Amino acid sequence: MSQSDDLLGLLDGIVARATPGEGVEAYGVDATETTVKAYDGQVESLASARTRGVGIRLIADARVGYAYSAALDEAEVAATLEAARANAAVASPDEANVLPPQAELPTMPQLWDPRFEAVDPADKTDLAIRLEAATRAADSRIKGVDTATYGDSARTVAIASTKGLRGAYRRCDAYLLVEALAEADGATTSAYGLDLARVADDLDVGAAAAEAAVRATRLLGGRKPPSRRLAVVLDPFATASFLGVLAGALTAEAVQKGRSLFAGKLSERIGAERVTLVDDGRLLDGPAAAPWDAEGVPTGRTTLVADGVLVGYLHNAYTAAKAGTTSTGNASRGSFTSPPGISPTNLFLRPGPDEPETLLALAGSGFYCQQVLGVHSGANPISGDFSVGVAGVMVRDGQLAEPVREATIASTIPDMLQALTGVGSDLRFLPFGGGIGGTTLLIDGMTLSGA
Amino acid sequence: MDLIDEGDIRAVLEAALADGGDFAELYAESRRGRSLTLDDGRIEDLVSGLDRGAGIRVVRGRQTGYAYTNVLTRQALVEAARTAAAAVSGSAKTTVADLRRVPPPVRHPVARDPLAAPSTALVELVTAADGAARAVDGSVRQVTVVYSDAHRQVLVANSEGHWSVEPRTRTRLVAQVVAARDGTIQTGFEGPGAAVGHELFDDHPPDLVGRRAAERAVTMLDAVPAPSGELVVVLAPGTGGVLFHEACGHGMEADIVAKQASVYAGRRGETLGTSLLTGVDDATVIGGWGSFGFDDEGTPAQLTVLFDHGVCTDYLSDRLRAAQLGIPASGNGRRQSYAHLPIPRMTNSYILPGRDDPQEIVRDVSRGLYCRSLGGGQVDPASGDFVFGVTEGWLIERGELTRPVRGANLVGDGPTVLARIDAVGSDFDTREGICGKDGQRVPAAFGNPTLRIGRITVGGTG
Repeated sequence: MSQSDDLLGLLDGIVARATPGEGVEAYGVDATETTVKAYDGQVESLASARTRGVGIRLIADARVGYAYSAALDEAEVAATLEAARANAAVASPDEANVLPPQAELPTMPQLWDPRFEAVDPADKTDLAIRLEAATRAADSRIKGVDTATYGDSARTVAIASTKGLRGAYRRCDAYLLVEALAEADGATTSAYGLDLARVADDLDVGAAAAEAAVRATRLLGGRKPPSRRLAVVLDPFATASFLGVLAGALTAEAVQKGRSLFAGKLSERIGAERVTLVDDGRLLDGPAAAPWDAEGVPTGRTTLVADGVLVGYLHNAYTAAKAGTTSTGNASRGSFTSPPGISPTNLFLRPGPDEPETLLALAGSGFYCQQVLGVHSGANPISGDFSVGVAGVMVRDGQLAEPVREATIASTIPDMLQALTGVGSDLRFLPFGGGIGGTTLLIDGMTLSGA
Repeated sequence: MDLIDEGDIRAVLEAALADGGDFAELYAESRRGRSLTLDDGRIEDLVSGLDRGAGIRVVRGRQTGYAYTNVLTRQALVEAARTAAAAVSGSAKTTVADLRRVPPPVRHPVARDPLAAPSTALVELVTAADGAARAVDGSVRQVTVVYSDAHRQVLVANSEGHWSVEPRTRTRLVAQVVAARDGTIQTGFEGPGAAVGHELFDDHPPDLVGRRAAERAVTMLDAVPAPSGELVVVLAPGTGGVLFHEACGHGMEADIVAKQASVYAGRRGETLGTSLLTGVDDATVIGGWGSFGFDDEGTPAQLTVLFDHGVCTDYLSDRLRAAQLGIPASGNGRRQSYAHLPIPRMTNSYILPGRDDPQEIVRDVSRGLYCRSLGGGQVDPASGDFVFGVTEGWLIERGELTRPVRGANLVGDGPTVLARIDAVGSDFDTREGICGKDGQRVPAAFGNPTLRIGRITVGGTG
């Protein structure tokens, strides 16, 4: 029997214990992962793991309860179902507590690459060691590497419910992550380089190393800039951070609870004409690709902003029932220990025609923002205030000039969307909060504060 | 009943060292926890469950092999031990010493076991906080209250013969409030927690937790945009601790020091801060949110002085980094769960009180910013550069708090701030939070007296 069959068998057994009138959903995960960290030319640590667990959601009389267990023996699983039942008893009733309807669950066989199981463990350690060496060698000002990591995971996800929903899928992932430390004149700067792929064979050590080295050395010698209003060019990492804030405000949960600046703005113009924001769970290049979401609703493509006009929100089954619409397939869970919430899958701004260099030229004089700090406290998805710490480089005559540190940029999210005058062609997915697509972005008129 | 018995522990440690190695360790835990969310007046999610598992570590020279599993049979554990052993190339022969079971050197007693409280009692707690928050002002729009508890049994055993099992209980209540008036929206937060049971609510009654969060949100409705530029900043008790934690504490963690990625590396004995400043990390605070008896590799909890009257003193270490740096292990090896390797972490990091009158500290400021609450911050340990959002800030004008300000950020670097602290109050308070590092989240507490920083960059919107 395969891992999927084992897991589905367990879930079937749980669903079969539902009493008449109860809705029961069982969600199971069985995962293995490997993480190799290299330091000073050798393996610093190698960790490997197998974990599994099950989460049970139970709905009775419109009340929902949730319980989970990492122990999968019969007694513990039975106790977990009882706990979900008891937890439901104290919850407030809400007619929107529904399990997704039966559907023919689609498959995405491309998420599993058969080469994954054939990767030699020695090749994994070799990748981490080469990543560290390549980063150190990339520039004479790189004085060290904080972490050079190779990681991979393989997971089987399964779901079954009393609605008759039943399915399982497998996916595998591999990544390289390095943080380079650059030094000059006694000051140290750091930056990440990253590469994602389905399997180790497709990872590019040179690209991740060069990215970390270029981004770290570029910040050397940074000073506080004078305060003024100017054009800001966000690099793809900074853009992904900004889109992460937007994504939070575009979930139907935030909207329905009055915790979004976009509440009540459907069909209104919220940004410049070139702003088209899309979420696509079926995009194979995206790190969050999956055939169905964390409660078994098939994923799809959802346009949230079309040519500057707000046209949709991200839904799970609960918010969709509340709003009288259908789920967009954006239910998510951190692990089997959490009931479904909402998050983007692969979220991105439709790329424009311009190369990053063209956007710098269009900015003329401005600020190239490479690192944002404090997004969680500085960007408020309710009030729309946006003020974050930054490191980057000033732009003069369309070229990168002197580096900047200990500065902030500030505006409001609505003003930033209106002033968004250029989206780069350099779309690239980053594993931030699902999968968020970074592009270079040109925003006119933000306040840079330094000395 | 113990998670794993002595015979199984021995079998696992022996399998871990069968191919050589300097050191082997078994960490196992069982965690039962509950969380209850009240949102918008509705009891939404009551979640409960059991997570458990074990991780086996084999160290050889500077290499570490680690394997973890949540299948706790002897067969699965021994198999994981062999996987961990295969990850390090070794020939050094180490034998497993006789296991000696030792009790935790510091106990954090629990008076009222949270797991014994019925669900209905939890509903009463969150409902009380919700009601008190809503009663503060008509502008309160949204109230979210989250109750959580966790009870863990943590087992650590190693090839040197250490064997301990420690119970750890934590309870927390968090209230978040959104207030709105005339198109302005503001949020407020309050979230006490401790390594105790329901006696937490003797010190922090749920209605007070709700009321404080609401008052913060309502106060900020009248806020004007914060000024930008360099200002004198006064941090309220409990507020500056998180800044000390992020901007100074992380740089004192021995893994970052060992990789020369810290601005404090190689600077022990140097005077970096003002002589008014003494900062410590103390895992022995009874019932502290970040406290424990043993750390997650069996080293006793202790108090470590990071900055003694401004002098950079001791780093925070786990076993591995202590050996690398040639210092004693400070008992700061912590992990989020069995799925993680221990790394040096802070526990309860405090700036200790000084002698200045807190009211005088503000009275001496002609123009500045008073921070009563800071939001999450972020720091780059390599440079020490940090950014903190000010979630409740007030303008200081001629020695008085005049108007609340919004959208302020504090921007600076750790060593500069340490040197610019020019007044330390005689008061003290703490806050609790969850600290993230290398993908691992652990409970951490912050504490400080009223502190004045002579000059710091404030990024505002005004």
